[in-house]
Amino acid sequence: MSDLARHRLGVALLHIVVVTGALLTMLPIAWMVYASFKTTTEIFMFPPWLPPAQWSFDNYHSLLTGWAYPFWYINSLVYAAIVTVFVLFFCSLAGFAFAKYAFRAKNILFVLLIGSTMIPFQLILIPLFVLMSRIDWINHPYSMIIPWVAPAFGIFLMRQYIQAVPSELMESARIDGASEVRIYAQIIVPLVRPGLTTLAILTFLGSWNSYIWPLMVLRGNEVITLPVGIATMASQVTGSAQPYGEMMAAATMVSVPVIALFVVLQRHFIAGLTIGAVKG
Amino acid sequence: MAVARVGRVEKGGFSAHKLTPYAFISPFYILFGIFFMAPSLIALALSLFRWDGINEPRFAQTLNYARMFNDKVFAAAVGNTAVYALASLFIVIPLALVLAVLLNSKSLRFRNFWRALYFTPVVTSTVAITLVFQILYNKDTGLFNAPLIFLGLEPINWLGDRFWAKVAIIILITWRSTGLLTIYFLAGLQSIPEELYEAASIDGASVVQRFFWITVPMLRPIILFVSIIVLLGAIQIFDEPQILMRGSGGPGNSTLTLVQYLYQRGFTRLRLGFASAVGTVIFATVFVLSLLQLRWFGVFREES
Repeated sequence: MSDLARHRLGVALLHIVVVTGALLTMLPIAWMVYASFKTTTEIFMFPPWLPPAQWSFDNYHSLLTGWAYPFWYINSLVYAAIVTVFVLFFCSLAGFAFAKYAFRAKNILFVLLIGSTMIPFQLILIPLFVLMSRIDWINHPYSMIIPWVAPAFGIFLMRQYIQAVPSELMESARIDGASEVRIYAQIIVPLVRPGLTTLAILTFLGSWNSYIWPLMVLRGNEVITLPVGIATMASQVTGSAQPYGEMMAAATMVSVPVIALFVVLQRHFIAGLTIGAVKG
Repeated sequence: MAVARVGRVEKGGFSAHKLTPYAFISPFYILFGIFFMAPSLIALALSLFRWDGINEPRFAQTLNYARMFNDKVFAAAVGNTAVYALASLFIVIPLALVLAVLLNSKSLRFRNFWRALYFTPVVTSTVAITLVFQILYNKDTGLFNAPLIFLGLEPINWLGDRFWAKVAIIILITWRSTGLLTIYFLAGLQSIPEELYEAASIDGASVVQRFFWITVPMLRPIILFVSIIVLLGAIQIFDEPQILMRGSGGPGNSTLTLVQYLYQRGFTRLRLGFASAVGTVIFATVFVLSLLQLRWFGVFREES
């Protein structure tokens, strides 16, 4: 076999493997959307790939009318949006301080910041829950927002981005009499917009998909969030009577907007995952 | 350097701003103190008490730990969690590494499209996708068993058999996490000089040889880094088995994880002291792994 032929064979093989893997990866997502158009009975018919007798939006319709789904959706959206806005503010502010100021005990405070990521959420699950009930935050929006608005990871991420901003810009602004707050708002923030975008996506996604915490602190059909709500649908009825059709419609509506968001913003997304983490 | 320069400016008459950085970083420390540090200390202390959340806690010395280490269910949870960790290390990481190399190939058309596609599972909701897998794993009509049924073979009891239930969880974890690790490896691949591969090609090294002689050794630091990330993730698995097995530990607790064990003891049985002891064990493991991570890849390294 000539070198050229061997190269062509290799390239063909590469494409076959990549495309096959991609199809397998997308299969569950495609299946979810496909099943959302079937009735629950049809979902469990054999063979499973049979199309529905009638393509319909019935599942979506009954999901929006028969369940508290719209509430869940709005709750998830509102929590994720509020947390994201606060996270962007507090993390960029603290990241700014760590990147651009010299102050006493800075190193110790930074070690504490990084060290805080070593506390697994599971350790504090119970005391935090007890704390929430003592201060009457169970079923209160505060429990979904306040503890989560200044994550160490976000501060570290913003510090990495802000370090790249030239200090000369700040100096000349200071000489012109700009206050520190103004330097933050008018110089730093506009220049680290890519970093803020990355942090926004990661935060929004984390909040949108979070399960165990809202499961613990939110009670009542109209106050829970999407993942908890969908999991509730799965556990409400036992046996084959579970509303899998509606559940697939619900799952589709949870996943598709996030996937769309990811496709549009993937560059920022991936930058945020690798910054500071991998230095080669 | 940058910091030093700012400092000099401050000495030149900006001393009023000395408190500014503290104000900027204070939200984190206030929230961390109240919602993370204090609960952590309480958890460590609580692990020495018996408490149902209602009556007065009673001091129990190390009784919780003694009970836990003698509990067969705890041993099962540790074992299962270890299986997931090993599967992540020896299945997910090699898979992600090979995938990253494929997705990095210059001969591949639409590279960015494929990269995005392989990453999609990472952004999906665990709850939603786990319910989809529940359907795919159905013994009699699920897609995964359909080929077996068509061939007239015995269908696999994915969710009801002790062995296959674990496999089902591992497949789900692999599906969800491979894309993320691929991104790390892809980032690492960019730092390998092209000349190395060219030189190896001239010497007649095959694709496979180049992978094992160049790619793997050059990526060693990242493989190590990713290994720790994967271990940290494996110790904290909760959502997937919890939902796939509808809140149970699976057949004969064969899929129960440490965090599920903690959750069951704490919230279902209201043994808060005991659950805190479980949390302390998880904490100790995570702590050691994180220290290793900091030691090897320390964020402090650039400072020194």
